[in-house]
Amino acid sequence: MSARTGVKSFWSARGAGSSTAYRLATLAPVLVLVAIFTLFPFVYSAVTSTHQVLLTLPDQTPFIGLQNYLDVLRDSSTQNAIKNTLVFTLLTVPCVTVLGLAVALLLNQQIRGFGILRALVLLPWAIPLVSAGIIWRLLLHGDFGALNGLLLQLGVVHDYMSWLSSPNLAMYAVALAHIWREFPLPAILFLAGLQLIPGDIVDASRVDGAGLWARFRNITLPYLRAPLLIVLVYETMISVSVFDLVYVLTGGGPGSSTTLFSWYAYATTFTFLNPGQGAALSFIMAAFLLALIIMFLRIVRVDEGEA
Amino acid sequence: MKRSRLATAALIACGVLLALVILLPFLWALSASLQTELALFRRPPDWTPNPPSLENYLYVFTGQVPNAYNVRGLLRSPITQEARVLPIGLMNSLEVALSVVTVNLVLGTLASYTFARERFRGRETAYLFILGSRLLPAMAVAIPIFLIIKALDLLDTKIGLVLIYSAFTLPFTIWVLTLYFRSLPKDIEEAAMVDGCNRFDALRHVVLPLAAPGLAAIGAFSFLFSYDEFVFALFTTSSTSSKTVPVMIAAISVNPDASYTLIAVGIVLSVLAPIALALVFRRFITSGLVASMGRS
Repeated sequence: MSARTGVKSFWSARGAGSSTAYRLATLAPVLVLVAIFTLFPFVYSAVTSTHQVLLTLPDQTPFIGLQNYLDVLRDSSTQNAIKNTLVFTLLTVPCVTVLGLAVALLLNQQIRGFGILRALVLLPWAIPLVSAGIIWRLLLHGDFGALNGLLLQLGVVHDYMSWLSSPNLAMYAVALAHIWREFPLPAILFLAGLQLIPGDIVDASRVDGAGLWARFRNITLPYLRAPLLIVLVYETMISVSVFDLVYVLTGGGPGSSTTLFSWYAYATTFTFLNPGQGAALSFIMAAFLLALIIMFLRIVRVDEGEA
Repeated sequence: MKRSRLATAALIACGVLLALVILLPFLWALSASLQTELALFRRPPDWTPNPPSLENYLYVFTGQVPNAYNVRGLLRSPITQEARVLPIGLMNSLEVALSVVTVNLVLGTLASYTFARERFRGRETAYLFILGSRLLPAMAVAIPIFLIIKALDLLDTKIGLVLIYSAFTLPFTIWVLTLYFRSLPKDIEEAAMVDGCNRFDALRHVVLPLAAPGLAAIGAFSFLFSYDEFVFALFTTSSTSSKTVPVMIAAISVNPDASYTLIAVGIVLSVLAPIALALVFRRFITSGLVASMGRS
């Protein structure tokens, strides 16, 4: 497989070796630090999730096998959180991907002044997620809020809408904030992909009379296959684990309408004081994401080999 | 190939729309931070502050209560002491973020260079482990990490945060830098090593000057990650002396007694550093992101 040989030649590409001590000295600090903060949490979650741990009964933590997993999976609140997370992911990932692609196609045009746009596009992605969330809280607030003011002025609504405290709208509000925050990354990755398309292919196809759509389908999309896969997997991971936005925008509410999985795991531990089940939930999420991570690494590394 | 006038105009219109979508939310926060609470609640609100007032900022930095709060136009005159600690939070955030950048530049560079150029048993396993661990979601590991920090007696300290953030940024750094080092020509290093340089000398004198753009990129990434991070800071810090900006503004924003104009001040203050960094380091960030996600 070409991917394998690519990786192999990468590792054999080297100069004269140096001492084991040097290798150890340069790698050990990083490996130890990363191991402590990734392996221990994994083991800890695994162990805790197989015990009954209730903060209300701190001295009794019997081993109960997979009972926590069975309990949480049977619980309708968990099913609700999974359903919400699924809805959120299905709302955001396609939007972020399509919007990112559209923005990349736009930024790829040689037009004076678009250099500034290419710089601006990083901004929503660079700021703290919490800040992005609070910005949207100010925009969507039910008692004032810029969106309400704007819609009132345009005559679209007659009274202020409570976007964040309406069970039907809150999910869309969180998704909207998430999309605004997340589209820059796909846009940048797609833009980089677009810039690799040789100009003469495009020109030749134009001479041959290929229309806009035909060029997009037959030239642009094939070139964007790898970034597209990466964006889809990566953005799914981001959407599935979103937490900060829920914290500042809705607190999981109203009711449990925006209780996404991360928030639910957090609430299970800290509001319902059940770390055993909280750990089981974390472990389920971590396992799911690990599968996505492995997929992600495969895509990226295959790509590396071909490069 | 020339585009038609009409097509160019349409593209420019799309560009303007994109700029508005990106900037208007920021500008609204800025506008709100310069208004009084009363003006903010007008329907529809004043889009630009009328007149703009720095009183909200003055309150955060000096404690002087804005005049507007003496007018009891709303049922309550909400103002919160919590907003006054924001300047300390900004300093905490910068301190933590710059420390993490330093750790990444030193440890990350050393390890990446070894990964890129040395050959030894287990290196591929180690490299894969490092890569795979970079994407674990905060919530899945937050509680055990809280316990680690507690066991190290580093709860509510900036050092604790620096450790956590280093562990979560180093994988990414190593990924980007290993690819970067690999892309540099080996000949000069090899010549230097034939002339008696050891691996470390080669790194210091030959590779580092060439790797400056890669270092700038990973510096920017580690800064942004540490400055923006919320979950771990929420779990492990509790006092003003170590809370970072995201934790502080999140607390203010979910406090029902907080003034919305002060919340807006918090937003503006919290986004200044990352915006400046993103604009200055734009090229490095972009190329680093593209490199890390595969040069597709």
